[in-house]
Amino acid sequence: MLKPMEPVRYVDRLNARYAAQGFPPYRWTVNEEAPLTPLSKPLADSRVTLLTSGGVSRACDAAWDPDARNDFRLDEIPADTAASAFQVHDSYYDVTAARDDINCVFPVDRLNELATEGVVGAIAPRLWSGFMGRIYKRTQLRDVIAPAWAEELRLDDVDLAILVPA
Amino acid sequence: MGLVARVVEEAGIPTVLVSTGRDLTELVLPPRSLFLNFPMGNPFGRPGDVGRQRQILCDALELFESVTEPGSIVDAPYEWGDDFTSVVDRTLGAMVPGGG
Repeated sequence: MLKPMEPVRYVDRLNARYAAQGFPPYRWTVNEEAPLTPLSKPLADSRVTLLTSGGVSRACDAAWDPDARNDFRLDEIPADTAASAFQVHDSYYDVTAARDDINCVFPVDRLNELATEGVVGAIAPRLWSGFMGRIYKRTQLRDVIAPAWAEELRLDDVDLAILVPA
Repeated sequence: MGLVARVVEEAGIPTVLVSTGRDLTELVLPPRSLFLNFPMGNPFGRPGDVGRQRQILCDALELFESVTEPGSIVDAPYEWGDDFTSVVDRTLGAMVPGGG
């Protein structure tokens, strides 16, 4: 029996890479406290949406720039999009599994199944792909872009959101 | 994306983050997170593994009922099976501005 693998220390590894390339140390966002909003109704009555930052787009839409920086593009993805109708472009992670089965990063089939079975009340009409990695304009993200997305969720009467970073 | 979770939560919509980077999530501290000790690119497991994908999604949803402490990171009890450090090293360079 192999010893369980320790979680990868991404921060240390990235800091080492920054230093090796002569960049100043990356200023990580560090928060000591977090907000918490309780779910206002049972899961079985809740409308759920999903967000991926993994360079996922519909095959009929444009591909993501796999090396995007400060890209505030945000795609609306109809919740009934077939799992076979996606493309994935992102140099940030190994996209092999996601291309083989989009549910590895964006479990659209599984969420539709849970909605059909009544585990959750409904799947929201719009799912989302955006906030791809390497956004360094954090103030704009926090004060403008993310609040605008929250407003879109409100328009869809979303009760909870599942966020899947790449 | 943890930052986005915090903003949406503050706007009154509860969120859960499904993370494969435990240390990254600890820094940003989203409202509630499920950590999978899986490679980036596989937060819901392997292609075609419908049962595990579904279980992870259900585990994430369960946090809306179980988490009462803001910033909680819950460790999912699944093992990936092989060491994926070499996969990480292949893609990590792209996360640094200069690439490579």
